[in-house]
Formats: sequence, C-alpha cells, structure tokens
Amino acid sequence: MRTMGHAIAALAILAPLAAAGAADLRVGYSSDITTLDPANHRSRVTEGLVHNIYDAVITRTDDMKVVPEIAQSFTQIDATTYEAKIRPGIKFQDGSALTAEDVKFTFDRLTKDNAMGGKTSPRASLVGPLADTIVVDPLTVRFKLKNPWPIFPAYLPFNQVVSKAFVEKVGTDGMATQAMGSGPFKLVEWRRGDSIILERFAGYYGGATDIPPAGPARVDRVIFKVIPEAASRVAALLAGEVDLIDELPQHMIKQIEGNPRTQVLKTNGTRSFFIDLNNKKPPFNDARVRQAANLAVNRQLIIDRILSGLAVPLATLISPDSYGYNASLKPYAYDPAKAKALLAEAGYPNGVEVTIDVDNAFKDQAEAVAASMSQAGFKAGVRLWERTALTDLWKDPEKHDRQMQFRSWGDGALDPVGIFVPVLKSKDRGNFSGYSNAEVDALLTAADTETDVAKRSKQYEDAQAIIYKEAPLLYLWLPQDIYGASKRLKSWNPSPRGIVKLHRAAIDG
Amino acid sequence: MSPLGVVERLLQLVPVLLGISIVVFFMMALTPGDPVELMLGDARATDEQRQSLRHDMGLDRPMHERFLVFLRNAATGEFGMSFHHRRPVRQVILERLPATIELTLAALVIALVVGIGLGVLAAVRRDSWIDRLSTVTALVGVSMPGFWFGILLILLFAVTLGALPVSGRIGYEGEVPFVTGLLLVDTLVASKFASFFDALRHLLLPAVTLGLAMAALLMRVTRSAMLEALAQDYVTFAEAKGISRARILFRHALKNALIPTVTVAAIETGTLLGGNMIVETVFGWPGLGRLVVEGIFTRNYPLVQAAVLLYAVIYVLLNLCADLLYATLNPRVRS
Repeated sequence: MRTMGHAIAALAILAPLAAAGAADLRVGYSSDITTLDPANHRSRVTEGLVHNIYDAVITRTDDMKVVPEIAQSFTQIDATTYEAKIRPGIKFQDGSALTAEDVKFTFDRLTKDNAMGGKTSPRASLVGPLADTIVVDPLTVRFKLKNPWPIFPAYLPFNQVVSKAFVEKVGTDGMATQAMGSGPFKLVEWRRGDSIILERFAGYYGGATDIPPAGPARVDRVIFKVIPEAASRVAALLAGEVDLIDELPQHMIKQIEGNPRTQVLKTNGTRSFFIDLNNKKPPFNDARVRQAANLAVNRQLIIDRILSGLAVPLATLISPDSYGYNASLKPYAYDPAKAKALLAEAGYPNGVEVTIDVDNAFKDQAEAVAASMSQAGFKAGVRLWERTALTDLWKDPEKHDRQMQFRSWGDGALDPVGIFVPVLKSKDRGNFSGYSNAEVDALLTAADTETDVAKRSKQYEDAQAIIYKEAPLLYLWLPQDIYGASKRLKSWNPSPRGIVKLHRAAIDG
Repeated sequence: MSPLGVVERLLQLVPVLLGISIVVFFMMALTPGDPVELMLGDARATDEQRQSLRHDMGLDRPMHERFLVFLRNAATGEFGMSFHHRRPVRQVILERLPATIELTLAALVIALVVGIGLGVLAAVRRDSWIDRLSTVTALVGVSMPGFWFGILLILLFAVTLGALPVSGRIGYEGEVPFVTGLLLVDTLVASKFASFFDALRHLLLPAVTLGLAMAALLMRVTRSAMLEALAQDYVTFAEAKGISRARILFRHALKNALIPTVTVAAIETGTLLGGNMIVETVFGWPGLGRLVVEGIFTRNYPLVQAAVLLYAVIYVLLNLCADLLYATLNPRVRS
C-alpha cells in the first residue's frame, strides 16, 4: 500500500499541472521589467513589454517606419509645432474613453519637474525640447517645442499614453506595480522576477491601421517568463515550454535550426560596433595609421566565423537602415599590403604595437580583430576589463594613454542624431576617441535643427564622407538581433526596435 | 551556552554589522561606474536632466553625508529607493526573499538526507563498492560547477525526457494566495494539491543543483566522523553487550558522529545562499541572488547595500546557530 502511495506521488510530480491553452503565447524573456510604469524607467526590455499594455501616440512598423497608433493623423504645423488627431472611440481597459487630456497628462508627467511623486521622469530626455502639450479639442493635441527638433516624431514612439484618471487614482507608487492602458493586452499578474501574465483586451480599438491586420489581439493570453540564462532559454524553447525567446546567442543557433519544431528569426539591430582609436596620442593621432587600422581588419571573415554571418559590415558607424545613410560609401576592404604601406609612410615601417581594451562579453570579437590586424603590420593585443571600469577610464581622451577600445553605441530611433553626434561631435557625451573636426561639427550642428528632410539627410551624408576618409574610429559591424521561435508562432516578426509587441501575433493549436 | 552567552553573542552582531556596513558602502561607492550614466545608456539627456536624476537618486550629496544617511536607514531597516525599480528597496527585497529561502531550505534538506545517508552507508560498508562509489560521487559533486550541472539536468530532465520544467517557480495557471511566500507551504495551506506538486516539480532541479556540493561535503564529513565513532571503545562495549547493530549505529555512533556534520551544515548553509546567485540564474528562479547580481551590474547602490547587509546578518546568525547546536549535541562544551 505504502509503495503504491509513493508511486502515485512520483507520478503526480512528473505530470505537468495543465497543458498550455491553445491560444496562450509564452515568451522566454532574458530579463524582468523594472516597473510597469511607462514613464519611470530607462530600460528597453521594460519599454517593449509595457508597450503590450499601453499604446503610444505614434509607433513604428517592423521596418521602422513611423506611423500613427492611437493618433489618426500626425502632422507638423510649423518648425516647432506638431499636431495629433486622436482616433475617436478609443477605450482604456477600464472602459473609459481616451481623450486629448490623457495625452497631455502623459507628456506633462514626462516633462515637468517633480511630476512623478516629487521626482522627475527618467525619460524626460526622450521627448527633447518639448515645452508644452496643448489640448485643442477633446480629440486634438498640439506638441509645442522650445526650438526646432526634427527628430521629434522619431522619438515619440518611445513613450506610451497613460490614463489621467488611473494615475491620479493609484499614484506614482501604484503605477509601478499596476497597469491600465489602451493597448491590446490587460495585466493579469506580475510575479516579480518570474513572469508577467497578460490577457487579451476585448475592447481594443485595433492598433495602427498601417500595421495590418488591425483588430484585437489574436491570442488569449501572453506570458512573459523571465529566463536570464541563454542556455536555459534555448532549453525552454526546445522543450516546448515557451514559443518565443529573445537574445539568442549566435553559437546556439544550430540547436534551434536543428529542431523540426523551432526556427530562428532575425532582424538588423540598431547597435553599431566600432573601436575607439585614441586620436589624441600616437600612433592614432595620424590619420594614415587610423586608415591602416581600418584596412587591416577582415570584417567579413570575422562576421562569418565569429558572428555566424549574422551582421553587416559598416562603412562608418551609421546603420544602412538609418535615415541619412550615405550609400555611396563602401566598408573598408581588407588590404594588408596597403595597411603596411600606410604604416611605413607614417613612420612605422616595422609595425606598431597596440592594445585593444574590451570587456568580457566581446573578448572573442576583439581577439579576432587583433589577430587580423597582426597580419597587416600591427602587433595587436587584447586587454580585458569590466565594462563600467573601462567607460570611466576612457571618458576623457586627454587623460589616459589607452589606444583602442572595443565598444558599441545603440540608436533605437535610427537617426544619426542618436549616434553620429554623441560619438563623433567634438567633446560630445560619447566621444571617447577625442576626434574633433570643425567641418563635421558644423554639419552636425546644422542638421540638429534643419527641418527640410532632404537637406538634413544631405548634411549627414556629407559628414559621413569626411569621417570615412579621416577614420577616427575603426568601423566594424552591425549585428542582427536574433530570436528563437516555435513554428507554431505566426505573424510576428522581430523589429529592429528590439521590443516584443505581440498584438498581431498568432499561435497555431 | 547560557542565555546570557546568547545575548552576548547577539550584541557582538552590532560591531560586526557596522564593520560590514562600512565595507559594503565604500566598496560600492568607490567601484568605477556612474549609476546615472548606466541608467541613461546611450540615449540623449541634457545636463539638467542628468542633474535631476542624480538628485532623485541622492547622489548629489557628498559621500560622507550619503554614508550617514545609509547608516541611519540601515538602523531602521529602511534602505531608500532602488534606483531602477523606483520603489523602496525593502519592498523589492522582501518580494524576492521567500523564493530564495524556499530554494535554500529545499537544498539543505536534500544535502542533509543525501549527505548523511551516504556518509553513514559508506562508513558502515567501508572499502566496499558502495563506499568507493560514494567517495567518487562526493569528489565529483564538490568539483562540479553548479552552473554546468544545472544545465545538464535541464537537458536531461526537461528537454530530453520532458519530465520536469526548465525554469520558474510554478506554472502560470496556478494562482496561490500569499501566506508565507514559500509556495510549498502556501499551496498546502490553500489545499491546492495540484499546485503543490507543480511547485515541487519546479523546485526539484534547482534544489538538487544547489544542494549537490553541500551533500558531497556532508557525506565526507559524516563518513569520517562515523568511522571514528565506530572505532571507539563504547561501540565495542555495546557490541559486547549484544545490543542490536541498528541501535549501535544510530543511537550510539551516529549521535556522536553528527556533531561535526551539524556544525559544518549550519555554516555551509551560508554558502548555499551564495550559490543561489548562479542556480537562480540558470533556472530562472525569482530569488534575491539574481536581483543582487543585476544590482551590482547596474550599480544599484541601495539595493546591493541592503542585500549584502541582509546576507551578512543571516551568515552571522547561522554561525551562532552552529555554535548553539554544537553545545547542545556535545555535552563536553556545555559547561
């Protein structure tokens, strides 16, 4: 009798509690969100997940076009004024109507000092010089900027609209753990560190008409399961425990491709990789040495061997998908002979010793670059650091003798202003190479406020031609974002935004 | 140990914790990396916006002032706001603590049962194949990295056999009312037996992974203590009196052999807490260890300081427990 009891207990342990419902979509997510409040974080993971609950005034398609979401139309009135007409009939998940007042409240909360329980939103910088949001009528708002900022529409999708009444009811503290938006899914439960459970909002207005098919979500529930370790995420996908995983490492792609039930999904990312060359000190204060470095790296070989072919080589640091990309520039071709000649011309006929600083995550790639350079006149080594220590060390190019730093810069808006300006404008916040060129600075400054789209693009293209020639950085590549998915998952494509919005996704039974 | 002795030991906690506070605070504060820059990442922000964030985080005040605030906070059990969660650190930690406690206790039970069981068996059947196998297993158990062992278990039991889940604490179907935060207890209190077994299935692999190294250690300690006890005169005497073998083993020998085992176990429970960080990451276990690791990378000072202090308190208390247990089990140190 006792043995039988044990046997039953053992069976009970091995039997799953309940099979997943046919229309449950389960996502293995690499990290937990920090908050449910769309205005109180600086995390792309949080932004992406919360976007399933809260919709924005305008959003982006999978190929990064900016399109209206809760807005019916979005137009520029003059250099500093934009107008959004809200779609009539949009309901929040508590049944109340979404009006221009809610939009104004959302943006006041982002921009006004101390508007969030005595504190200021950490996302304030993502709305630029927005001075005021004005309610014109119940379904029309105007965004008034302090000065022209042509990329305002490109940054608007980062922020989602909240309900004024709901925020006033639960307060900023309540917003961290409760959620009520106008998006396709309602919050059921957030089990901290473990999972976020959402269910379909039947009264959803349908979302952006430019992202068909408009309508309510096609799955009943979405469960984001937090699985921080990549090997475990892959295991969960292979075991059928989840239907989609993010941040699939390149070396695990084969496991997913080798399984008949799973597939790999990829998209160009928005993070450019490059190596800072210390333009202030020898040897890289000489443009010929910098050009030689760019000629000395066999990008395609490294992409094929180390990155499983999942990256595109870059001519400068601008993504080919970006606005203002100069398509006439081709990535530096691998040419060790020319690199050696340039080095000799610069006074290094016997080569030059250099060290690449890198953090542990990108050790392999930096070592491959060093190996490639070592066959083209450089004697390149690699030194490992902790990421933040490295950032601190390199912050001021005048104050250190380091030579090269392997790093990256992300730009979710795919506009040069988010990457070109910080990394290469004189003394800007991410300019660690110490590069300074008056002509480039002038072009970038002009583009900052140029409202003519074509003219502004030309300014960036001209600036790219200069930095291509002067090579202040060793330009590398733009890796793809890689996801693993069950073949049951339909009509979901990864977006370069790096967020997982599931309002159009479906799951086969 | 007399009650006075216990009070004395508890009072000794105060200088120890003060010392730890100083170390933790300055280690975090002096580590390179600016929490504001880390939070903002690559996106743009004006100097004014940076300054306002810095102010909201309390980082615009001089370091000695921040230290005094930290001490005052620590004394009252409040640790300010977590930078990234933007909620009180206490709340964030308390949400995650039960998962860690549950995992640690489960690992402890596994380690005790397996470690002592195999240790006794190996000692009794000395030099037999069981002894050799246990010794080799123990060696492997101590040397195997928990991270790797966890992945192996996942591949075998979850992917290949499909018998146990890869990650998490409980399936998303089961809703469990919060009582203690320990799911095994809460599901039983609510009479949700299916959920109880579901929670147990989720707990099994991480607990085995976490408990493995400790089980191996306890096995070796128990084995040698048991061998020593079995060689004592009182055992020979008991055998001569004709007392049954089982009674000799468990009442006479094991009782004495357990003294070192229990002491080691109490101290090693502190090490289990450290091992949690890795096991929680591998199994997506929503515990405190993972939170602290994330906190270190994002330079979330208030969170890391509070958590390390909490770990320190637990560690010191476990050491006290070890001493108390030792005194209880060993009459010779009682006076």
